[in-house]
Amino acid sequence: MRQLPVTYEMMKSTTRDLYEWSLKKIPEDSKVALRSALDAETEDAPKKALGFMLRSAERAETEDTLLCSDSGVPTYSVKIGTGVEFGGDIKQAIVDGFADLVETIEPPILKFVTNPLTGERSYRGKDMPIVSWDIISGADYIDVTCAPKALGGGRWAALEIFSYPTLDEIEGWIMDMVVRAGSQHCPPVTIGIGIGGSFDHAAKLAKQQTLRPFGTPNPEPILADMEKRLLEAVNSTGFGPMGTGGVTTALGVHIDYASGHGFTPVAIAFNCWINRRTRAKIYNSGEVERIE
Amino acid sequence: MSEYRLKTPLDREDIDKLRIGDVVYLDGEIITTAGFPTHQRIMDAIARSEEPPINLKGAVFLHMGSCNIDTPDGVVTEYVNPTTSTRFNAFMPTLVRHFGFTAVGGKGGMDQSCVDALQETGCVYFSMIGGAAPLLTEGVKRLVETGWDDLITQFRLSRFEVENFGPLMVAIDAHGHSRYADLTKAATDKLSEIKRKLREGRQASTS
Repeated sequence: MRQLPVTYEMMKSTTRDLYEWSLKKIPEDSKVALRSALDAETEDAPKKALGFMLRSAERAETEDTLLCSDSGVPTYSVKIGTGVEFGGDIKQAIVDGFADLVETIEPPILKFVTNPLTGERSYRGKDMPIVSWDIISGADYIDVTCAPKALGGGRWAALEIFSYPTLDEIEGWIMDMVVRAGSQHCPPVTIGIGIGGSFDHAAKLAKQQTLRPFGTPNPEPILADMEKRLLEAVNSTGFGPMGTGGVTTALGVHIDYASGHGFTPVAIAFNCWINRRTRAKIYNSGEVERIE
Repeated sequence: MSEYRLKTPLDREDIDKLRIGDVVYLDGEIITTAGFPTHQRIMDAIARSEEPPINLKGAVFLHMGSCNIDTPDGVVTEYVNPTTSTRFNAFMPTLVRHFGFTAVGGKGGMDQSCVDALQETGCVYFSMIGGAAPLLTEGVKRLVETGWDDLITQFRLSRFEVENFGPLMVAIDAHGHSRYADLTKAATDKLSEIKRKLREGRQASTS
């Protein structure tokens, strides 16, 4: 079969649509996790809060409307297969895809792109959308994830640099950050943690880990143990769904690591209960496969 | 825990009976803004003994954004949703005392100085679910008026007529109780014990 290039139009419409889907539908595994949490809670208030969340998610999906008024700022993770042929400026396509979303989405989204120097709000701004680029060896597709970041989820991320830390110090700091965030990030949250590498790389790992589906095993046994231990610890803090108390502050703790020097950055990031996370693959064949 | 349907303006009896965890649905009017600059303007107005463009006396004042669209048939409110209230901690005690708000709300709670102001004046804090726009929007009947229209939509002072507006969960009552303060204290008190258990769990898995 003759290979077709991935066109500007394909990239533009896919990135646009991924954004819209992320605002109107929560991931399937989030629904399952929220329902399990509803069963696990025994107190009235957290049960009610989870019930409202599930009802809101269902309504948004069936009525094709937004779950939250904070549509966030556009952030994408783009992984390009080395076998992909470009049929246009796919970088510009992401910028134009967001502009198209702003013009066409129903109901409309509000202005959240903020200039940090002047406070001015707009739909566009320097370095928007925020895109992280990666290469996938041998693949004939572009793998795009869209995860718009809103204030509640974005505000409480943190990074600390340690010098030859023990796991005890790392886990202790993570718990300090969990208590600092309390219930302000719209729990139950997904927690992503990155350990090691460099300042920027640890943050990227943490962000990527917030996008991992619930229940996917961690291939590193030390981290698999740590994830289980920390999830239990986070849920024993008692903040609960939307700060109503209870045993569900997080639905998952996901961790990745990278080798580095003796200075060890540790980053933590949160996704709110809506868990905005949509993903598609654009193939050289012209096919666009929606993963979630 | 009880569920109430209350009418604005809220009277003292309504406010006093509300307890942490009660769920409330409102009929009447609410005033909303999600704007930091809006709060600064209200503070400036108070300092200059001027009135803000919308009467805030005794209001239900919510930290909430809204998307309102002009159509040939008038303004349509597409959606409403809460924003984080802790951002406004520095303003709220003054606002609560000055205007005698009967209820405030948003998400994420407010600090002790706000809890004190609520207790002193007789006012409650409603927590809304962040991400419950479809449920909250259903209770909005009409955008009555807006003030400071030079600001972006979600920052404007907006007065809405509402019917069965909710769910609103009481998270700070008018008697000095705050769910947020209680949860933070409980988590902080437990933190060293949680860290000790993490350490034990780690040792068990490596031995």
